[in-house]
Amino acid sequence: MTETTVAPERTETEAPQRGYIGVNVPRKEDKRLVQGEGLFVDDVKRHGMAYVHFVRSPYAHARIASVDVSKAEALDGVYGTLTGDEVAELTDPFFQIAPPPGGHVKDYALAVGRVRHVGEPVVAVAARTRELARDAADLVEVEYEPLDPIVDPERAADPDAPQLHDDVPSNTIWNGHFDYGDYDGALAAADKVIRIKRLHFDRFSSTPLETSGAVVEYNRGTGQWTLHCNNQFPGFAIIMMAPALRTGMDKLRFVSQDVGGGFGNKICTHPQLVALCLLSRKLKRACQWTEWRTEQHMANSHGNERVFLDVEVPVTDDGLMLGFKARMIDDCGAYTRYEPLGCIIWAQVTPGAYRWRNVRVEFTQVCTNKSPCGPNRGYSRMQHLWFTERVMDVVADELKLDRVAVRKKNYIRADEMPYETPNGCIYDSGDYALCLDKALELVDYESIEERRREAESRGKLLGVGIGSTLDSGTNNFGQATLVNPELQYSVNNEVASVKLDIFGEIVVTLGTTPQGQGHETTAAQIVADILGVTPDDVNVRPGHDSYWNSHAGFSGTYASQFAVTGLGAVKGATEMLADQIRTLAGAVLGGVPPEQIELAEGFARIKGNPEAALPFMACGAIVNANNAVLPLELRDITLNCRYVYVPPHQLPDKERKYGNLTLTYATQIHACVVEVDEETGSYEIVDYGAVDDCGVRINPQIVEGQVHGATAQALGAATHETFAYDEQGNLLTPNFYDYHVPHALDMPPLKTGYIESPSPFTPLGAKGMGEGGGAGLSAVCSALQDALRPVGRPIVYDSCNPYWRVWEMLRDPAKTRENVEVETR
Amino acid sequence: MLLREVEYARPASVDDAIRLLSEHPNARALAGGQTLVNVMKARAAAPDILVDLNRLDDLRSVGVTPDGGLELGAMATYTQLVGSPEVHSTRPIVAEVASQIADVQVRNRGTIGGNVCSADPTNHFLPLMVALDATMTIAGVDGQRTVPAEQFFLGVYFTAAGPGELLTRITIPPARRGDGFAAVPIGADGTCIVNAAATLEEGGARIAIGCVAATPVRATEMESVLSGADVSDERISEAARGLGASLDPPSDVHASADYRRHLAEVCAVRAVRHAAGRS
Amino acid sequence: METAPVDSAFVSVQVNGESYEREVDARRLLVHFIRDDLDLTGTHVGCDTGNCGACTILLDGEAVKSCMLLAIQADGAEITTVEGLTHDGELTALQQAFSDRHALQCGYCTPGMLISATYLLEHNEAPTEAEIRKAIQGNICRCTGYVNIVEAIQAAASGEVKRD
Repeated sequence: MTETTVAPERTETEAPQRGYIGVNVPRKEDKRLVQGEGLFVDDVKRHGMAYVHFVRSPYAHARIASVDVSKAEALDGVYGTLTGDEVAELTDPFFQIAPPPGGHVKDYALAVGRVRHVGEPVVAVAARTRELARDAADLVEVEYEPLDPIVDPERAADPDAPQLHDDVPSNTIWNGHFDYGDYDGALAAADKVIRIKRLHFDRFSSTPLETSGAVVEYNRGTGQWTLHCNNQFPGFAIIMMAPALRTGMDKLRFVSQDVGGGFGNKICTHPQLVALCLLSRKLKRACQWTEWRTEQHMANSHGNERVFLDVEVPVTDDGLMLGFKARMIDDCGAYTRYEPLGCIIWAQVTPGAYRWRNVRVEFTQVCTNKSPCGPNRGYSRMQHLWFTERVMDVVADELKLDRVAVRKKNYIRADEMPYETPNGCIYDSGDYALCLDKALELVDYESIEERRREAESRGKLLGVGIGSTLDSGTNNFGQATLVNPELQYSVNNEVASVKLDIFGEIVVTLGTTPQGQGHETTAAQIVADILGVTPDDVNVRPGHDSYWNSHAGFSGTYASQFAVTGLGAVKGATEMLADQIRTLAGAVLGGVPPEQIELAEGFARIKGNPEAALPFMACGAIVNANNAVLPLELRDITLNCRYVYVPPHQLPDKERKYGNLTLTYATQIHACVVEVDEETGSYEIVDYGAVDDCGVRINPQIVEGQVHGATAQALGAATHETFAYDEQGNLLTPNFYDYHVPHALDMPPLKTGYIESPSPFTPLGAKGMGEGGGAGLSAVCSALQDALRPVGRPIVYDSCNPYWRVWEMLRDPAKTRENVEVETR
Repeated sequence: MLLREVEYARPASVDDAIRLLSEHPNARALAGGQTLVNVMKARAAAPDILVDLNRLDDLRSVGVTPDGGLELGAMATYTQLVGSPEVHSTRPIVAEVASQIADVQVRNRGTIGGNVCSADPTNHFLPLMVALDATMTIAGVDGQRTVPAEQFFLGVYFTAAGPGELLTRITIPPARRGDGFAAVPIGADGTCIVNAAATLEEGGARIAIGCVAATPVRATEMESVLSGADVSDERISEAARGLGASLDPPSDVHASADYRRHLAEVCAVRAVRHAAGRS
Repeated sequence: METAPVDSAFVSVQVNGESYEREVDARRLLVHFIRDDLDLTGTHVGCDTGNCGACTILLDGEAVKSCMLLAIQADGAEITTVEGLTHDGELTALQQAFSDRHALQCGYCTPGMLISATYLLEHNEAPTEAEIRKAIQGNICRCTGYVNIVEAIQAAASGEVKRD
C-alpha cells in the first residue's frame, strides 16, 4: 500500500485566452432583478392553485395519539389535507446515507406516529387562499402525548437519555475513529502539551431571505410531476424523492429561475416537496407552498452544532504544533437528511491551514430533538476550521507566543504546494503567510498597540484577531463511502450544453441552480472567449430545468464548485462546439482543414484571410435547416454540444479513511479588530481586512461580492446568530427579532485584498470560493480573546459570542481558564 | 403570518372612533400597526374589529403647550417627532429616542400612541415617558381622563386605556435641567436588552429602567441619592450602586437576570450622565 | 367608506401610475394584495415579523413595509413598487448603480432596498455613508454584506453611474 494519495494530474488543456476572464463583465441577471422582473418561486401561479400550510408540532418530542382533519376539511374554501398516515401508506421512508444503526432512522414527508422537533410538519392543508389554508390549519386537531426531549448533544448518548428513533440506540447516528500520522509519537516528542476541555460551535444558519417554497403540478396523463421550486440541489432531491414516491426519476421535473439565496439551506427541502407531490395528485390541482420565516427558523436545515472535547495539542518549545487529538460530538438534530456526510466532510481540511502531521479524532454524530441539520455555507469544514483557529490562539496565548509568528511557523508553506495532508488530501496551491501579511496590512497591524492605548482611554478594550481558513471545493463524493462503505457514490460531475441555433444565436444551458452567484454572466465570459464573441452575444438560460437534459447526478449549486465544475462543463461543451464550427466552416469554405479556421467576431474564417468567412448565422442555418449544403460525412455535426465535466478523483481508501476528498482549496486569511465596552460586554467590529485567494478570478467583482457575503454571514454567526433552544426543545430565536442578522449598521467597512494562486488541477485555474470557510467567525473569536486579555485572560470557547457571553467572560475570567491546562514535559 | 378574519372600520372623527370602540367589546384601535399587525399575524391577538385611526388628522398634531411643554397627538409618527421643531426646542430627547426606533419604514408609519398602548416592555418609549413624567389623555364615551405615565403601563401589552377607550394625547412637561437616555440593544439596532431614561430636575431626578420587568421601573433609591445638586460622575455611579440588586428582571436568550441587573446600573448611570451633560 | 365595520371592501389604488380596483378581505395584507391580487410580484416577502424590508414600497411617497399594513387601509393611495421605478425602459441612476457596483446577488432584497434608497435620495441628495446605512437599516440583505449597496447608493447620489 502506498503512503500517498495519487495527486490529480495537472491539467494539460490550454486555458482559453484571457479575453473576458478577469474582467468585471456586468451581470446579465441584474437587469431583470433591479426592475422586479425576476421570477422567484412565490411568483409562480397556476390556474386553480391551492395554497398549502403545514400544521407543525408544538412539542419537541411526542407521540401522536390522533389526528382529526374533519373540521379543517369542512371549512369553505379548503380543498383537502394530507396526514402522516397517508404519507406512510403512499411513500417509502427516505433513503438513508448512514449505515446501521443511523441508517435505521425512518424519515417521511410528514411525521408518522411521533414528532421529534418543534416545527415538524404533521399535517398539510390546502385551500383557495393563503389565509384560508392558515385558518384551516387551526382547525386540525392533533392529540399529542408528550415525551421527554433530549436537547443537549453531550447528553444524547447517556444511558438515561430519551431515545428518538427505534433501533438507533444511544441516539448515535455515526461513530468513527480517525487516526493519521503517529499521534502517540508526537505526544512523546512534545515539550509541552496544551489541553482544552471543551470548545463549542453554535447552531445557526445562513437564513436566506427568500424562504423555501414550491409550486407542484401533477400530470395525470403521464404520471409526471413538475416542481417549480427553489431547491438548490435537484440531483440529490430527485435521488431522495423518486424511490420514496415509488416512481421513476424522470417523473420528477425540477424547474427554477431566480432563487433568493440558498447557502446550502435549500438542499434538504425534499420532505416538503414529497408532501406537495402527494397533495397535487390527490387534489388534482397545482399546490403552492411558501415557508414562513418563523418556519424556516424552526424547521429548515440548521448548520451542525459541534462540541470538541478533551482536546490535546503537543507542541515543541519553538512553537511547532505536532498535531492534535480530540473527541468531537456533532449534533444533527432530529433527522438525518444529508447527514451523516458532515462526519467526513470536515476531513477535507483535517489540519486546517497547518502542517499538523499527527491527528487522532473520535467523531460521533448524535440526534437530538431539534431541527434537522443540513449543509450550511462552509458545511462541516467551517466548524472544524474554527476549531483549528481556536487551538492556534489558545496555544499561542497560553505559551505567550506571538500569534502571527506561531501561525507562520505552522502554516503550510507556498513552496510545499501541492501539499498532501495527513489524511491524503492534496492542497493544490496557495500562500497563507503572504495572505496573512496582506490582511494585517489592511488593518494596519503595526499601529495596533497605539490604538489599544487610545481605545483604553475611552474605556474600551481593543483586540485584533486572525482567521485562517480554506474553502475546499469540488467534492469527491467518494468520501461518502468513508461513512458508509456500501454507498455507490464517487467523484463529481456537472453538465453544460452549448448550441448554435438556426439564426446564429449561441444558447447555453447549465445544470446548476444559481442563487445569486452570477452563473449566466461568468458562463457567457467563458463561451465568449472560446467562440470569439462578446458575452452579450451569448444567451445563457436563466435557472435550471431538469428537462433540458443538461444535468447529471451531482448537478446543483453548492459546495463552492461552479468555477470548477460548472465552468469546466461550459468550457468543454464550448470547445466541442468550436471544433464542430471549424470543421463545418472548413468544408463550406472549400475544404480547408479545421485547424486553419479561426473563430472571431461572430465568424468562422480562414486564418490570414478574413475575407473568407462564414457567419455563425450561416453555420446555424446550414445544420438546422439547410443540410444539403453539407457533405454526407459531416452530417453528424449538430452544433448542439453537451459536455459532462468529471474531476479526476479516485476512490478513497475506506479502511484508512484516506484519500483526496476535494480537488481544490481556496484560501481566506482575515484580520479583525474589535472594541469591547468593558462595562457592558457589548462590542463592535471596528476594522476588518479580508484577503482571499481563489486562484484565477473569472469575474473579480463577483468574487469580491462572495467575499463580502461570506464574511457578513460569518460576522453574524460570531456575534448574535444562534439557534438557541430551551430545555424543552423550544427554539428561542424563531424570527429576526431574536435571531439578529447583520443590518447595514452592524457591518464594519470591509477592506479586501487578494492574491491569485491558480489551481494546477482545474480547467481554468479557478478554485471556486463561495463558502469562505467562516474566516470571520474565527477572526472575531480571536479578536475578542485578544481584547479581553488585560481583564484576567479569559478564553473564548464558543463560536457565537453575544454580549452576555462576553460579559460573563469579563465577570469571571478565571472560570473560563479552568478549561485549559499546560503541561510542561 | 396571516391574520384571522377581522372587520375593519374607518371612523370619520375621534368621537366616531370612541363610539366604535365602546360599542364593540373586542374592537381594537389600529394606529400605525407596526406592532399590532405583527401580533395579529402571529395570531397572538385577534380582535374582531380594527378601528383605523390613520385618517384622523386631529390626532397627529405636535404642539407646544402654553407653559412650554409638549403636546403630542397619539397618532404623531416617529418620523414626525424626529423632524419636529417643537420637539427639538422643548424636549429633544423625544426626537433622539424616536430616531432609534426600528427603521425608517417603521418610523414613517409607527406612532407614539400606538407605541405606548402596545406597551412592549422592550420598547424605548416606555421608560422615557415615565422619566419625562408624561401625562396620557384617555378619552371614552363619558369624556376624558388623564393618567400619569407611571400608572399608564400595567403589564405586557396592557395599559390603563381600557376597553372602549382611546389614548388621544400625550403631554410632556416643560424642559427640566436635562434629559438622557441609554440602551444596550442586540447589535447596532436590534431588540433592546436594557434601557434607561433620566430627567434631572431642580433638586431631583426621575429615572426609569426598561426591559427589566413587565413595565418600566422607577429607580427610586438612585433618584433619592441624586436629589442634591451634585451630579458628578462619581456621585452618579455611587447612586446607581444597589440598583441592580433591587430588580427582579427576566432571564431569556439575550440576557440572564444577573446581566440585566448589571446593565440596568450601567444604563441608569449613562442616562443620568447624558442628562447631566446637557444641564 | 362607511364608518360601520366591514369584512371586505372595494379598494382603489394607483400603483405605478395605473389604477386598480379590487374587492379585498379586510384582513388581507397590502403585500399580498400587491403580489397576489395585482400580480406585481417584484415586491417580496422575506419575513413574517416586519423586520426584513423586502416588501418596502412607497405609499403616498412614504417608504413603508407593505406587510405591516392592510390592503384596505391603502384605499385611495398612490403606491410605487419596484416595477414603477423605471421610466420608458430606462433604468434609474440607482438601478444602474446597483448593477454597476454589483450591489445585488440573489436579487431578493433588491426591490425593497431600491425603494428605501430611492426614498433616501428624494429627501437627501448627498447622504453620508452613515446616513445611507441608517436609511437601509430596515432592509436585510443576506448576500452582500451591504458593502456594494452602500457604494452604489453613494455612486447614484454623486452621479458616478455608467450608462450603456
